[in-house]
Amino acid sequence: MKLFGKRLFRPRSIWIRKIVQWFFFLLIALISVNHTLVENGGGIPFLSTASLHALCPFGGVVTIYQYATVGTFVQKIHESAFVLMIIGFVLAFLFGPVFCGWVCPLGTVQEWVAKLGHKFFKRKYNHFIPAKLDSVLRYARYIVLAWVVYVTATSGTLIFAEYDPYFALFNFWSTEVAIGGLIILGATLVLSLFIERPWCKYACPYGAVLGITNLFRVFQIKRAESTCKADGACSIMCPMNIAVDTVKTVRDHQCISCLECTSEAICPVAKTVVFTTGAVK
Amino acid sequence: MNLTSKPLAAIILIILLGGISLSTAMGWWQTESTKVAATYTEGEFAGQANPADIRGSYTFGDVEKNFGIPAVVLAQAFNIQTENPATFAAKELETIYAESEFEVGTASVRLFVAFYNGLPIDISTDMYLPQNAADLLKNRNLTAEQSAYLESHTVPNPAAASDSPEVDPAQTAESAPEAEATQSAVTTEASTERLVKGKTSFQEILDWGVSQEVIEQIMGMPMPNPLTKVKDYCAEKGLDFETIKAALQIEVDKAGQ
Repeated sequence: MKLFGKRLFRPRSIWIRKIVQWFFFLLIALISVNHTLVENGGGIPFLSTASLHALCPFGGVVTIYQYATVGTFVQKIHESAFVLMIIGFVLAFLFGPVFCGWVCPLGTVQEWVAKLGHKFFKRKYNHFIPAKLDSVLRYARYIVLAWVVYVTATSGTLIFAEYDPYFALFNFWSTEVAIGGLIILGATLVLSLFIERPWCKYACPYGAVLGITNLFRVFQIKRAESTCKADGACSIMCPMNIAVDTVKTVRDHQCISCLECTSEAICPVAKTVVFTTGAVK
Repeated sequence: MNLTSKPLAAIILIILLGGISLSTAMGWWQTESTKVAATYTEGEFAGQANPADIRGSYTFGDVEKNFGIPAVVLAQAFNIQTENPATFAAKELETIYAESEFEVGTASVRLFVAFYNGLPIDISTDMYLPQNAADLLKNRNLTAEQSAYLESHTVPNPAAASDSPEVDPAQTAESAPEAEATQSAVTTEASTERLVKGKTSFQEILDWGVSQEVIEQIMGMPMPNPLTKVKDYCAEKGLDFETIKAALQIEVDKAGQ
Protein backbone atom coordinates (compact mmCIF):
# COMPACT_ATOMS: atom_id res chain seq x y z
CA MET A 1 0.00 0.00 0.00
CA LYS A 2 1.38 3.42 -0.95
CA LEU A 3 0.63 6.94 0.37
CA PHE A 4 2.16 10.00 -1.31
CA GLY A 5 4.44 7.65 -3.19
CA LYS A 6 5.79 6.02 -0.02
CA ARG A 7 5.30 2.31 0.70
CA LEU A 8 3.45 1.96 4.01
CA PHE A 9 2.71 -1.71 3.99
CA ARG A 10 4.66 -4.48 2.35
CA PRO A 11 2.78 -7.75 1.97
CA ARG A 12 4.66 -10.75 3.29
CA SER A 13 2.85 -13.12 1.01
CA ILE A 14 1.47 -13.20 -2.53
CA TRP A 15 -2.22 -12.95 -1.64
CA ILE A 16 -3.47 -13.18 -5.21
CA ARG A 17 -1.84 -16.63 -5.41
CA LYS A 18 -3.98 -17.77 -2.45
CA ILE A 19 -7.11 -16.61 -4.27
CA VAL A 20 -6.13 -18.47 -7.44
CA GLN A 21 -5.38 -21.59 -5.38
CA TRP A 22 -8.76 -21.37 -3.63
CA PHE A 23 -10.48 -20.92 -6.98
CA PHE A 24 -9.00 -24.08 -8.48
CA PHE A 25 -9.46 -26.08 -5.29
CA LEU A 26 -13.18 -25.25 -5.16
CA LEU A 27 -13.61 -25.78 -8.89
CA ILE A 28 -12.07 -29.27 -8.84
CA ALA A 29 -13.88 -30.20 -5.61
CA LEU A 30 -17.24 -29.16 -7.04
CA ILE A 31 -16.65 -30.99 -10.30
CA SER A 32 -15.68 -34.16 -8.40
CA VAL A 33 -18.81 -33.95 -6.27
CA ASN A 34 -20.87 -33.31 -9.37
CA HIS A 35 -19.36 -36.37 -11.06
CA THR A 36 -20.54 -38.51 -8.16
CA LEU A 37 -23.97 -36.86 -8.11
CA VAL A 38 -24.48 -37.47 -11.81
CA GLU A 39 -23.57 -41.14 -11.44
CA ASN A 40 -26.30 -41.33 -8.80
CA GLY A 41 -28.92 -39.62 -10.89
CA GLY A 42 -28.48 -36.04 -9.59
CA GLY A 43 -26.08 -33.24 -10.53
CA ILE A 44 -25.37 -29.52 -10.33
CA PRO A 45 -26.56 -27.66 -13.44
CA PHE A 46 -24.03 -25.79 -15.63
CA LEU A 47 -21.08 -27.49 -13.96
CA SER A 48 -18.76 -30.01 -15.61
CA THR A 49 -19.37 -33.65 -14.76
CA ALA A 50 -15.91 -34.78 -15.82
CA SER A 51 -14.04 -37.42 -13.88
CA LEU A 52 -10.87 -36.36 -12.10
CA HIS A 53 -8.79 -38.42 -14.54
CA ALA A 54 -10.12 -36.25 -17.36
CA LEU A 55 -8.93 -33.11 -15.55
CA CYS A 56 -5.44 -34.21 -14.61
CA PRO A 57 -2.65 -33.01 -16.93
CA PHE A 58 -0.40 -35.82 -15.73
CA GLY A 59 -2.84 -38.25 -17.37
CA GLY A 60 -1.70 -36.76 -20.67
CA VAL A 61 1.94 -37.43 -19.80
CA VAL A 62 1.44 -41.09 -18.92
CA THR A 63 -0.59 -41.81 -22.03
CA ILE A 64 1.95 -40.34 -24.48
CA TYR A 65 3.62 -43.70 -25.08
CA GLN A 66 0.38 -45.56 -25.82
CA TYR A 67 -0.89 -42.71 -27.97
CA ALA A 68 2.33 -42.69 -29.99
CA THR A 69 2.49 -46.46 -30.44
CA VAL A 70 -1.14 -47.61 -30.61
CA GLY A 71 -3.05 -44.39 -31.26
CA THR A 72 -5.32 -44.80 -28.24
CA PHE A 73 -5.41 -43.36 -24.74
CA VAL A 74 -4.76 -45.33 -21.57
CA GLN A 75 -8.05 -46.47 -20.02
CA LYS A 76 -9.84 -43.64 -18.14
CA ILE A 77 -7.72 -40.96 -19.86
CA HIS A 78 -9.37 -38.68 -22.39
CA GLU A 79 -8.47 -35.91 -24.82
CA SER A 80 -8.98 -33.25 -22.13
CA ALA A 81 -6.00 -34.59 -20.16
CA PHE A 82 -3.90 -34.20 -23.29
CA VAL A 83 -5.08 -30.61 -23.74
CA LEU A 84 -4.29 -29.80 -20.10
CA MET A 85 -0.87 -31.37 -20.47
CA ILE A 86 -0.09 -29.07 -23.40
CA ILE A 87 -1.39 -26.01 -21.51
CA GLY A 88 0.71 -27.05 -18.50
CA PHE A 89 3.80 -27.27 -20.68
CA VAL A 90 3.14 -23.85 -22.25
CA LEU A 91 2.79 -22.28 -18.80
CA ALA A 92 5.89 -24.07 -17.54
CA PHE A 93 7.95 -23.06 -20.56
CA LEU A 94 7.06 -19.42 -19.91
CA PHE A 95 6.95 -19.25 -16.11
CA GLY A 96 8.22 -22.56 -14.69
CA PRO A 97 5.98 -24.91 -12.68
CA VAL A 98 3.26 -22.33 -11.92
CA PHE A 99 0.80 -25.21 -12.16
CA CYS A 100 2.33 -26.58 -8.94
CA GLY A 101 2.52 -23.24 -7.12
CA TRP A 102 -0.71 -21.65 -8.26
CA VAL A 103 -3.14 -24.29 -9.51
CA CYS A 104 -2.62 -27.80 -8.10
CA PRO A 105 -5.19 -28.38 -5.33
CA LEU A 106 -3.05 -31.02 -3.63
CA GLY A 107 -0.26 -28.43 -3.26
CA THR A 108 -2.85 -26.01 -1.87
CA VAL A 109 -4.04 -28.48 0.76
CA GLN A 110 -0.46 -29.17 1.81
CA GLU A 111 0.07 -25.42 2.25
CA TRP A 112 -3.01 -25.20 4.45
CA VAL A 113 -1.69 -27.96 6.71
CA ALA A 114 1.72 -26.24 6.66
CA LYS A 115 0.18 -23.23 8.40
CA LEU A 116 -0.45 -25.48 11.41
CA GLY A 117 3.10 -26.77 11.21
CA HIS A 118 4.43 -23.21 11.21
CA LYS A 119 2.42 -22.48 14.34
CA PHE A 120 3.65 -25.59 16.14
CA PHE A 121 7.31 -25.57 15.19
CA LYS A 122 8.04 -21.91 14.32
CA ARG A 123 11.45 -21.63 12.62
CA LYS A 124 12.22 -25.30 13.01
CA TYR A 125 9.35 -26.06 10.60
CA ASN A 126 10.42 -27.32 7.19
CA HIS A 127 13.96 -27.97 8.47
CA PHE A 128 13.65 -31.39 10.07
CA ILE A 129 15.44 -33.40 7.40
CA PRO A 130 19.25 -33.09 7.26
CA ALA A 131 20.28 -31.05 4.24
CA LYS A 132 22.41 -33.79 2.64
CA LEU A 133 19.71 -36.42 2.89
CA ASP A 134 17.13 -33.93 1.73
CA SER A 135 19.10 -33.02 -1.39
CA VAL A 136 19.26 -36.72 -2.38
CA LEU A 137 15.60 -37.38 -1.60
CA ARG A 138 14.60 -34.51 -3.87
CA TYR A 139 15.43 -36.72 -6.87
CA ALA A 140 13.12 -39.52 -5.71
CA ARG A 141 10.27 -38.01 -7.67
CA TYR A 142 12.13 -38.78 -10.90
CA ILE A 143 12.19 -42.44 -9.88
CA VAL A 144 8.45 -42.25 -9.25
CA LEU A 145 8.02 -40.63 -12.66
CA ALA A 146 10.04 -43.35 -14.42
CA TRP A 147 8.10 -46.08 -12.61
CA VAL A 148 4.69 -44.58 -13.43
CA VAL A 149 5.51 -44.10 -17.10
CA TYR A 150 6.95 -47.63 -17.34
CA VAL A 151 4.10 -49.50 -15.65
CA THR A 152 1.49 -47.48 -17.55
CA ALA A 153 3.21 -48.17 -20.86
CA THR A 154 3.57 -51.90 -20.20
CA SER A 155 0.16 -52.49 -18.65
CA GLY A 156 -1.97 -50.02 -20.62
CA THR A 157 -3.86 -49.24 -17.42
CA LEU A 158 -3.72 -46.35 -15.00
CA ILE A 159 -1.96 -48.18 -12.20
CA PHE A 160 -0.88 -44.90 -10.58
CA ALA A 161 -4.55 -44.21 -9.74
CA GLU A 162 -4.20 -46.86 -7.03
CA TYR A 163 -1.61 -44.72 -5.26
CA ASP A 164 -2.51 -41.21 -6.36
CA PRO A 165 -3.18 -38.92 -3.36
CA TYR A 166 -4.65 -36.24 -5.66
CA PHE A 167 -7.32 -38.68 -6.86
CA ALA A 168 -7.92 -39.85 -3.28
CA LEU A 169 -8.32 -36.25 -2.05
CA PHE A 170 -11.27 -35.63 -4.35
CA ASN A 171 -12.75 -39.12 -4.34
CA PHE A 172 -12.39 -40.30 -0.75
CA TRP A 173 -16.18 -40.63 -0.59
CA SER A 174 -16.47 -42.82 -3.68
CA THR A 175 -15.95 -46.53 -4.23
CA GLU A 176 -13.42 -45.74 -6.96
CA VAL A 177 -10.75 -44.65 -4.50
CA ALA A 178 -7.99 -47.15 -3.71
CA ILE A 179 -6.74 -47.78 -0.20
CA GLY A 180 -3.16 -47.10 -1.40
CA GLY A 181 -4.15 -43.60 -2.48
CA LEU A 182 -5.84 -42.89 0.84
CA ILE A 183 -2.79 -44.07 2.79
CA ILE A 184 -0.45 -41.91 0.74
CA LEU A 185 -2.81 -38.94 1.07
CA GLY A 186 -2.92 -39.42 4.85
CA ALA A 187 0.87 -39.71 5.04
CA THR A 188 1.25 -36.57 2.91
CA LEU A 189 -1.05 -34.56 5.17
CA VAL A 190 0.68 -35.76 8.35
CA LEU A 191 4.12 -35.03 6.89
CA SER A 192 2.91 -31.57 5.89
CA LEU A 193 2.85 -30.75 9.60
CA PHE A 194 6.64 -31.05 9.58
CA ILE A 195 7.70 -30.40 6.01
CA GLU A 196 6.23 -27.96 3.51
CA ARG A 197 4.79 -29.71 0.42
CA PRO A 198 6.31 -33.16 1.10
CA TRP A 199 4.51 -34.81 -1.83
CA CYS A 200 5.71 -32.11 -4.23
CA LYS A 201 9.30 -32.29 -2.98
CA TYR A 202 9.85 -36.02 -2.87
CA ALA A 203 7.24 -37.92 -4.84
CA CYS A 204 5.15 -35.95 -7.34
CA PRO A 205 5.88 -37.29 -10.84
CA TYR A 206 4.15 -34.37 -12.55
CA GLY A 207 6.18 -31.87 -10.52
CA ALA A 208 9.26 -33.78 -11.65
CA VAL A 209 8.33 -33.22 -15.30
CA LEU A 210 7.50 -29.54 -14.86
CA GLY A 211 10.53 -28.94 -12.63
CA ILE A 212 12.84 -29.54 -15.59
CA THR A 213 11.55 -26.33 -17.19
CA ASN A 214 13.22 -24.30 -14.41
CA LEU A 215 16.43 -24.82 -16.34
CA PHE A 216 15.22 -22.89 -19.38
CA ARG A 217 11.94 -21.06 -18.57
CA VAL A 218 11.46 -17.63 -20.15
CA PHE A 219 10.69 -15.76 -16.92
CA GLN A 220 13.19 -16.53 -14.18
CA ILE A 221 13.58 -15.52 -10.56
CA LYS A 222 16.71 -13.41 -10.36
CA ARG A 223 18.52 -11.73 -7.47
CA ALA A 224 20.31 -8.40 -7.86
CA GLU A 225 23.56 -8.84 -5.95
CA SER A 226 24.22 -5.08 -5.92
CA THR A 227 21.18 -4.28 -3.78
CA CYS A 228 20.82 -7.58 -1.89
CA LYS A 229 21.22 -7.18 1.89
CA ALA A 230 21.97 -10.89 2.22
CA ASP A 231 19.53 -11.21 5.11
CA GLY A 232 18.42 -14.63 3.84
CA ALA A 233 14.73 -13.75 4.03
CA CYS A 234 14.11 -15.12 0.55
CA SER A 235 15.61 -18.49 1.43
CA ILE A 236 13.75 -18.72 4.73
CA MET A 237 10.44 -17.98 3.02
CA CYS A 238 10.91 -20.47 0.18
CA PRO A 239 8.52 -23.40 0.72
CA MET A 240 10.82 -25.62 -1.30
CA ASN A 241 13.93 -24.71 0.80
CA ILE A 242 15.79 -23.24 -2.15
CA ALA A 243 18.78 -21.09 -1.13
CA VAL A 244 17.71 -18.11 -3.22
CA ASP A 245 20.20 -15.79 -1.48
CA THR A 246 23.17 -17.78 -2.79
CA VAL A 247 22.37 -17.67 -6.50
CA LYS A 248 21.86 -14.98 -9.10
CA THR A 249 19.26 -16.96 -11.04
CA VAL A 250 17.03 -19.64 -9.53
CA ARG A 251 17.33 -22.72 -11.73
CA ASP A 252 16.57 -25.27 -9.03
CA HIS A 253 14.33 -28.05 -10.40
CA GLN A 254 12.15 -27.72 -7.30
CA CYS A 255 11.13 -24.07 -7.72
CA ILE A 256 7.33 -23.73 -8.07
CA SER A 257 7.30 -20.04 -9.12
CA CYS A 258 5.22 -19.00 -6.13
CA LEU A 259 7.01 -15.61 -6.02
CA GLU A 260 7.07 -15.69 -2.20
CA CYS A 261 10.81 -14.93 -2.25
CA THR A 262 10.52 -11.82 -4.42
CA SER A 263 10.67 -8.14 -3.52
CA GLU A 264 6.91 -8.11 -3.98
CA ALA A 265 6.63 -10.32 -0.88
CA ILE A 266 9.34 -11.18 1.64
CA CYS A 267 12.46 -9.45 0.23
CA PRO A 268 12.66 -6.05 1.97
CA VAL A 269 14.56 -4.31 -0.85
CA ALA A 270 12.64 -3.18 -3.93
CA LYS A 271 13.57 -4.74 -7.28
CA THR A 272 16.14 -7.06 -5.74
CA VAL A 273 14.51 -10.47 -6.16
CA VAL A 274 12.41 -10.27 -9.29
CA PHE A 275 10.59 -12.48 -11.79
CA THR A 276 12.00 -11.30 -15.07
CA THR A 277 13.21 -12.06 -18.56
CA GLY A 278 16.03 -9.56 -18.38
CA ALA A 279 19.32 -9.31 -16.56
CA VAL A 280 19.76 -7.84 -13.06
CA LYS A 281 22.86 -6.34 -11.55
CA MET B 1 10.55 -7.47 -18.64
CA ASN B 2 9.52 -7.91 -15.03
CA LEU B 3 6.35 -9.68 -14.00
CA THR B 4 4.53 -9.34 -10.69
CA SER B 5 1.94 -11.56 -9.09
CA LYS B 6 -1.25 -9.91 -10.35
CA PRO B 7 -0.42 -9.99 -14.06
CA LEU B 8 0.95 -13.51 -13.58
CA ALA B 9 -2.33 -14.61 -11.97
CA ALA B 10 -4.25 -13.09 -14.88
CA ILE B 11 -2.00 -14.76 -17.45
CA ILE B 12 -2.33 -18.17 -15.76
CA LEU B 13 -6.12 -17.90 -15.77
CA ILE B 14 -6.23 -16.65 -19.34
CA ILE B 15 -3.95 -19.37 -20.70
CA LEU B 16 -5.62 -22.15 -18.71
CA LEU B 17 -9.26 -21.20 -19.16
CA GLY B 18 -8.64 -19.74 -22.62
CA GLY B 19 -6.87 -22.94 -23.68
CA ILE B 20 -9.81 -25.03 -22.50
CA SER B 21 -12.29 -22.74 -24.28
CA LEU B 22 -10.27 -22.84 -27.48
CA SER B 23 -9.96 -26.63 -27.39
CA THR B 24 -13.69 -26.89 -26.72
CA ALA B 25 -14.40 -24.72 -29.75
CA MET B 26 -12.09 -26.90 -31.83
CA GLY B 27 -13.80 -30.06 -30.58
CA TRP B 28 -10.69 -31.36 -28.81
CA TRP B 29 -12.01 -31.05 -25.24
CA GLN B 30 -13.45 -34.50 -24.54
CA THR B 31 -13.80 -35.45 -20.89
CA GLU B 32 -15.39 -38.80 -21.52
CA SER B 33 -15.07 -41.59 -24.00
CA THR B 34 -16.59 -40.91 -27.41
CA LYS B 35 -17.82 -44.51 -27.29
CA VAL B 36 -16.32 -45.21 -30.68
CA ALA B 37 -13.87 -48.07 -30.30
CA ALA B 38 -10.41 -47.75 -31.83
CA THR B 39 -9.80 -49.97 -34.81
CA TYR B 40 -7.13 -52.55 -35.54
CA THR B 41 -4.29 -50.74 -37.27
CA GLU B 42 -2.74 -53.69 -39.06
CA GLY B 43 -3.28 -57.25 -40.19
CA GLU B 44 -6.31 -59.06 -41.54
CA PHE B 45 -8.73 -57.08 -39.37
CA ALA B 46 -7.29 -53.60 -40.00
CA GLY B 47 -10.03 -50.99 -39.90
CA GLN B 48 -12.43 -53.09 -37.80
CA ALA B 49 -13.41 -52.02 -34.29
CA ASN B 50 -11.07 -53.51 -31.70
CA PRO B 51 -12.75 -55.08 -28.63
CA ALA B 52 -9.63 -54.31 -26.58
CA ASP B 53 -10.73 -50.67 -26.61
CA ILE B 54 -14.06 -51.36 -24.87
CA ARG B 55 -14.08 -49.28 -21.69
CA GLY B 56 -15.95 -49.62 -18.44
CA SER B 57 -18.19 -46.71 -19.38
CA TYR B 58 -19.43 -48.49 -22.51
CA THR B 59 -23.02 -49.62 -22.19
CA PHE B 60 -24.23 -52.79 -23.89
CA GLY B 61 -25.90 -50.41 -26.33
CA ASP B 62 -22.50 -48.88 -27.15
CA VAL B 63 -21.06 -52.35 -27.66
CA GLU B 64 -23.98 -53.18 -29.96
CA LYS B 65 -23.31 -50.04 -32.04
CA ASN B 66 -19.59 -50.79 -32.33
CA PHE B 67 -19.64 -54.55 -32.76
CA GLY B 68 -23.13 -55.47 -33.87
CA ILE B 69 -23.84 -57.84 -30.98
CA PRO B 70 -27.41 -57.18 -29.72
CA ALA B 71 -27.54 -55.77 -26.20
CA VAL B 72 -30.03 -58.47 -25.27
CA VAL B 73 -27.48 -61.16 -26.16
CA LEU B 74 -24.89 -59.43 -23.99
CA ALA B 75 -27.39 -59.23 -21.15
CA GLN B 76 -28.11 -62.92 -21.51
CA ALA B 77 -24.42 -63.78 -21.62
CA PHE B 78 -23.73 -61.90 -18.40
CA ASN B 79 -27.02 -62.73 -16.65
CA ILE B 80 -28.21 -59.16 -16.43
CA GLN B 81 -31.88 -58.87 -15.57
CA THR B 82 -33.05 -55.53 -16.83
CA GLU B 83 -35.82 -54.17 -19.01
CA ASN B 84 -33.35 -52.05 -20.96
CA PRO B 85 -30.06 -53.92 -21.45
CA ALA B 86 -28.75 -51.21 -23.80
CA THR B 87 -28.21 -48.86 -20.83
CA PHE B 88 -26.23 -51.34 -18.75
CA ALA B 89 -22.57 -50.21 -18.37
CA ALA B 90 -19.79 -52.80 -18.57
CA LYS B 91 -18.13 -51.54 -15.39
CA GLU B 92 -21.23 -52.49 -13.38
CA LEU B 93 -20.39 -56.16 -13.92
CA GLU B 94 -17.71 -56.02 -11.23
CA THR B 95 -20.37 -55.18 -8.64
CA ILE B 96 -22.72 -57.89 -9.82
CA TYR B 97 -19.94 -60.49 -9.82
CA ALA B 98 -18.34 -59.21 -6.60
CA GLU B 99 -18.78 -62.63 -4.98
CA SER B 100 -17.13 -64.48 -7.85
CA GLU B 101 -13.79 -66.12 -7.16
CA PHE B 102 -12.41 -64.62 -10.37
CA GLU B 103 -13.02 -61.11 -11.67
CA VAL B 104 -15.78 -60.64 -14.21
CA GLY B 105 -15.78 -57.09 -15.54
CA THR B 106 -14.99 -54.96 -18.55
CA ALA B 107 -12.21 -57.33 -19.65
CA SER B 108 -14.80 -60.12 -19.75
CA VAL B 109 -16.93 -58.08 -22.15
CA ARG B 110 -13.88 -57.55 -24.37
CA LEU B 111 -13.21 -61.29 -24.38
CA PHE B 112 -16.82 -62.19 -25.11
CA VAL B 113 -17.07 -59.70 -27.98
CA ALA B 114 -13.80 -60.86 -29.52
CA PHE B 115 -14.72 -64.56 -29.35
CA TYR B 116 -18.32 -63.93 -30.46
CA ASN B 117 -17.22 -61.98 -33.54
CA GLY B 118 -14.09 -64.03 -34.25
CA LEU B 119 -11.77 -61.10 -33.66
CA PRO B 120 -8.21 -61.40 -32.35
CA ILE B 121 -7.57 -60.58 -28.70
CA ASP B 122 -4.58 -61.03 -26.43
CA ILE B 123 -5.37 -63.97 -24.14
CA SER B 124 -2.03 -64.03 -22.37
CA THR B 125 -3.74 -62.55 -19.32
CA ASP B 126 -6.63 -64.04 -17.38
CA MET B 127 -10.14 -62.91 -18.28
CA TYR B 128 -13.16 -64.82 -17.06
CA LEU B 129 -16.64 -65.34 -18.44
CA PRO B 130 -19.78 -66.56 -16.70
CA GLN B 131 -21.24 -69.94 -17.65
CA ASN B 132 -24.02 -68.39 -19.76
CA ALA B 133 -21.51 -66.51 -21.90
CA ALA B 134 -19.43 -69.65 -22.34
CA ASP B 135 -22.53 -71.57 -23.42
CA LEU B 136 -23.37 -68.93 -26.00
CA LEU B 137 -19.82 -69.01 -27.36
CA LYS B 138 -19.84 -72.78 -27.82
CA ASN B 139 -21.94 -72.23 -30.95
CA ARG B 140 -19.40 -69.82 -32.43
CA ASN B 141 -16.37 -70.76 -34.50
CA LEU B 142 -13.68 -70.85 -31.84
CA THR B 143 -10.17 -72.09 -32.45
CA ALA B 144 -8.85 -74.99 -30.35
CA GLU B 145 -6.77 -72.53 -28.35
CA GLN B 146 -9.78 -70.29 -27.71
CA SER B 147 -11.92 -73.26 -26.68
CA ALA B 148 -9.26 -74.43 -24.26
CA TYR B 149 -8.93 -70.93 -22.84
CA LEU B 150 -12.68 -70.67 -22.43
CA GLU B 151 -12.80 -74.05 -20.72
CA SER B 152 -10.37 -72.93 -18.04
CA HIS B 153 -11.70 -69.40 -17.71
CA THR B 154 -15.36 -69.96 -16.98
CA VAL B 155 -16.98 -69.09 -13.66
CA PRO B 156 -20.42 -70.04 -12.37
CA ASN B 157 -23.28 -67.66 -13.00
CA PRO B 158 -23.99 -65.41 -10.03
CA ALA B 159 -26.47 -66.95 -7.58
CA ALA B 160 -29.01 -64.16 -8.00
CA ALA B 161 -29.20 -64.81 -11.72
CA SER B 162 -29.90 -68.52 -11.52
CA ASP B 163 -33.59 -67.89 -12.20
CA SER B 164 -32.91 -65.30 -14.86
CA PRO B 165 -35.94 -64.86 -17.12
CA GLU B 166 -33.64 -64.05 -20.03
CA VAL B 167 -32.50 -67.65 -20.30
CA ASP B 168 -34.86 -70.15 -21.90
CA PRO B 169 -36.25 -72.20 -18.97
CA ALA B 170 -36.68 -75.32 -21.09
CA GLN B 171 -33.10 -75.15 -22.22
CA THR B 172 -31.97 -74.56 -18.64
CA ALA B 173 -33.96 -77.55 -17.41
CA GLU B 174 -32.56 -79.78 -20.10
CA SER B 175 -29.00 -78.74 -19.58
CA ALA B 176 -29.11 -78.33 -15.81
CA PRO B 177 -27.38 -81.57 -14.85
CA GLU B 178 -24.84 -81.12 -17.60
CA ALA B 179 -24.24 -77.47 -16.66
CA GLU B 180 -23.87 -78.45 -13.02
CA ALA B 181 -21.37 -81.11 -13.96
CA THR B 182 -19.45 -78.67 -16.14
CA GLN B 183 -19.39 -76.07 -13.39
CA SER B 184 -18.22 -78.65 -10.92
CA ALA B 185 -15.50 -79.75 -13.29
CA VAL B 186 -14.38 -76.19 -13.86
CA THR B 187 -14.30 -75.50 -10.12
CA THR B 188 -12.34 -78.67 -9.47
CA GLU B 189 -9.94 -77.88 -12.26
CA ALA B 190 -9.42 -74.35 -10.98
CA SER B 191 -8.60 -75.62 -7.53
CA THR B 192 -6.25 -78.42 -8.59
CA GLU B 193 -4.50 -77.05 -11.69
CA ARG B 194 -1.07 -75.63 -11.17
CA LEU B 195 -1.24 -72.58 -13.38
CA VAL B 196 0.37 -69.28 -12.45
CA LYS B 197 -2.36 -66.69 -12.98
CA GLY B 198 -3.14 -63.15 -12.01
CA LYS B 199 -4.65 -64.28 -8.72
CA THR B 200 -1.86 -66.69 -7.79
CA SER B 201 -0.11 -65.88 -4.52
CA PHE B 202 3.47 -66.68 -3.58
CA GLN B 203 2.08 -69.11 -0.99
CA GLU B 204 0.45 -71.16 -3.73
CA ILE B 205 3.72 -71.36 -5.63
CA LEU B 206 5.50 -72.48 -2.47
CA ASP B 207 2.77 -75.06 -1.94
CA TRP B 208 3.36 -76.32 -5.46
CA GLY B 209 6.93 -77.20 -4.51
CA VAL B 210 8.95 -74.23 -5.73
CA SER B 211 11.42 -73.08 -3.09
CA GLN B 212 11.61 -69.50 -1.85
CA GLU B 213 15.19 -69.35 -3.09
CA VAL B 214 14.15 -70.17 -6.65
CA ILE B 215 11.29 -67.64 -6.50
CA GLU B 216 13.64 -64.92 -5.30
CA GLN B 217 16.11 -65.82 -8.03
CA ILE B 218 13.40 -65.36 -10.66
CA MET B 219 12.10 -62.15 -9.12
CA GLY B 220 15.60 -60.77 -8.58
CA MET B 221 14.56 -59.53 -5.16
CA PRO B 222 13.41 -60.87 -1.80
CA MET B 223 10.02 -62.54 -1.73
CA PRO B 224 7.34 -60.48 0.05
CA ASN B 225 4.66 -61.77 2.40
CA PRO B 226 3.68 -65.18 0.90
CA LEU B 227 0.03 -64.12 0.78
CA THR B 228 0.87 -61.36 -1.71
CA LYS B 229 -0.36 -62.00 -5.23
CA VAL B 230 2.48 -62.35 -7.74
CA LYS B 231 0.80 -60.03 -10.22
CA ASP B 232 0.26 -57.30 -7.62
CA TYR B 233 3.86 -57.55 -6.49
CA CYS B 234 5.14 -57.35 -10.07
CA ALA B 235 3.02 -54.23 -10.67
CA GLU B 236 4.27 -52.70 -7.42
CA LYS B 237 7.91 -53.38 -8.28
CA GLY B 238 7.61 -52.51 -11.97
CA LEU B 239 8.38 -56.08 -13.10
CA ASP B 240 6.92 -57.59 -16.25
CA PHE B 241 4.33 -60.04 -14.94
CA GLU B 242 4.23 -62.05 -18.14
CA THR B 243 7.98 -62.75 -17.98
CA ILE B 244 7.89 -63.62 -14.29
CA LYS B 245 4.77 -65.74 -14.78
CA ALA B 246 6.39 -67.77 -17.55
CA ALA B 247 9.56 -68.37 -15.50
CA LEU B 248 7.57 -69.38 -12.43
CA GLN B 249 5.36 -71.69 -14.49
CA ILE B 250 8.45 -73.56 -15.73
CA GLU B 251 9.57 -74.11 -12.12
CA VAL B 252 6.06 -75.14 -11.06
CA ASP B 253 5.94 -77.67 -13.91
CA LYS B 254 9.38 -78.99 -12.95
CA ALA B 255 8.33 -79.39 -9.33
CA GLY B 256 5.17 -81.22 -10.37
CA GLN B 257 6.99 -83.86 -12.43
